[in-house]
Amino acid sequence: MSTEADQIQIIAYCCQHCAYAAADLAGGLRMQYSPSVKIVELPCSGRMDVIALLEALEQGADGILVAG
Amino acid sequence: MSGKDNGYLVGSHLEKMLRAGHFAVTGELGPPQSADPAVIHEKAALLKGYVDAVNITDNQTAIVRMSSIGAGTLVLQDGLEPVIQMTCRDRNRLAIQADLLGAYALGLRNLLCLTGDHQIFGNHPTAKNVYDMDSLQMVQMVTDMRDKAIFQCGDEFKGQTAKFLVGAAAAPFADPTPFRPLRLAKKVKAGANFIQTQLIYDIEAFAAYMEKVRELGLHEKAYILAGVGPLKSPGMAKYMKKNVPGILVPDEVIDRMLEAGKEWAGKKAADLSPEEKKARSKAWQTEGIQVCIDLIKEIQKIEGVAGIHIMAIEWEKAVKPIVEGAGLYPRPEVN
Amino acid sequence: MIIGEQKPLDEIQGLLEDAEKVLVVGCGTCVTVCFAGGSREAQILSSSLRMSSKLNGHPQDVSDVTVQRQCEWEYLDEIEKEVAEADIILSLACGIGVQAMAKHFPEKWVVPGLNTTFLGIPVEQGIWEERCAACGDCVLGLTGGICPIARCSKSLLNGPCGGSEDGHCEIDPDIPCAWQLIYDRLTAMGREDNLLELQPPKNWQVSRDGGPRKIIREDLRLISDELES
Repeated sequence: MSTEADQIQIIAYCCQHCAYAAADLAGGLRMQYSPSVKIVELPCSGRMDVIALLEALEQGADGILVAG
Repeated sequence: MSGKDNGYLVGSHLEKMLRAGHFAVTGELGPPQSADPAVIHEKAALLKGYVDAVNITDNQTAIVRMSSIGAGTLVLQDGLEPVIQMTCRDRNRLAIQADLLGAYALGLRNLLCLTGDHQIFGNHPTAKNVYDMDSLQMVQMVTDMRDKAIFQCGDEFKGQTAKFLVGAAAAPFADPTPFRPLRLAKKVKAGANFIQTQLIYDIEAFAAYMEKVRELGLHEKAYILAGVGPLKSPGMAKYMKKNVPGILVPDEVIDRMLEAGKEWAGKKAADLSPEEKKARSKAWQTEGIQVCIDLIKEIQKIEGVAGIHIMAIEWEKAVKPIVEGAGLYPRPEVN
Repeated sequence: MIIGEQKPLDEIQGLLEDAEKVLVVGCGTCVTVCFAGGSREAQILSSSLRMSSKLNGHPQDVSDVTVQRQCEWEYLDEIEKEVAEADIILSLACGIGVQAMAKHFPEKWVVPGLNTTFLGIPVEQGIWEERCAACGDCVLGLTGGICPIARCSKSLLNGPCGGSEDGHCEIDPDIPCAWQLIYDRLTAMGREDNLLELQPPKNWQVSRDGGPRKIIREDLRLISDELES
């Protein structure tokens, strides 16, 4: 029973110090977020690379979120 | 020829005028962007009798026009002596020399050597430029053709040499200004017999430049003709002041032009009737011619200036009132 | 060094036609340093081409490889296998590398992904400027280390022309007037006399105008023509 929203793939590249920690905390607080979002932990958002971004899109991602 | 040539380099009318010590007047004629000789004849008729010689521009501002040698030959047929302009932009040293042999054979005797405006300003901006030589090198080459009877490569002429009175341009107010008199000296050293300057509107600055020129003794080695040109509107004056490198337009000159059109001041062109526009344009042009006359009178007072070069491109009609107004008409006769 | 600039994606796609298997070949030297055709750019371009070809409805199999220098045969031998598998080669080297690839792999169609623009220098991060025209007869000793051939719009030897204004060239306010720079430098160094000397017409025969150029150093050759014949 998947909805259209579930099929959308958003890759979230998150800095381990803030955005990733925030997502972790959100989980701890039992806050809900869409299962479309797949989180990739980065040591820093500065590690984000255009090649990784293109790779995600090539492999079918519908959108990219860089958070840091 | 020898014995009767009085030591003239080429014996052109312009050379005789300058040698006789008359304050010379040269004009400028821009050939058409067509192959129509009638345009040349019409313009020549407006200038004949009012100038001692007329410069025929060479693909001026890098826009394709009838060749200066072709147009100059037509002008010569009308009894007006041309000064052929030749730029380094479009020809290498072979083409320049070949064209000059032809020019001499056609009876042309005066030459102005120019580097030439960059093609980016013209109507073929994607063209390949040549610049095999620069203007100084061309001056030296044509001087050697005349005086040493050799081509640039050193080979000797086989037969008649091509002899031209060799001119060059000077931009007294272009940067770096301290170098400009020295660069003029370099042109004179290369062989320039006469110099025509960029448009002069700032008498004070030009007088200062001429002082340096006299210090270097250049006015005794080459005839210096100051460039002048009538303004058509205050807008033209402001545009040149702001956008054309090497042209200084003092505020007084702009103010004079504004004053001439003050009856219509503050009105946009769209708000004026065709009659009003015509009247305004006439008022501006009258003042533009008067400014030019006044400049010539001031320039005549500067030591070392041998004449004026009037640049009234596409406004050849203005030359007559300017020359008359400056008291330079009728032109002296020389033999 | 040689400075290049990547061609627009549309043009590159046009050059690749309908090839099924494309090999993008980067070069690890000059074009890597100017961020135009190194390993990174090869990867990014490959990914872009894979996606755009997919979007266009004719997906292409695009892979990439980068060699240290495309202008030397030894480095090209290393990618023999990858080249053999491809239908078309997109070289991200300068024009020299593209030609070396075409020569070395004569059975392959090689197309350029860059425009080789000039010989220059990164004056600051992200800005490159032309410095040398490879004219074959260096005049920098006269002009205080500022090249009038490459940096004056008219390549004047007795400049500056009347179009020098406030230190820039009349053709573009972003272009410094080479002759103003030369004047300033020679004046500062007390060598103004260099400016007063009339420089004769240049020998362009040793430049491109003399035809394609070639240098032969017999002392460096392994087999000389004489021995060979």
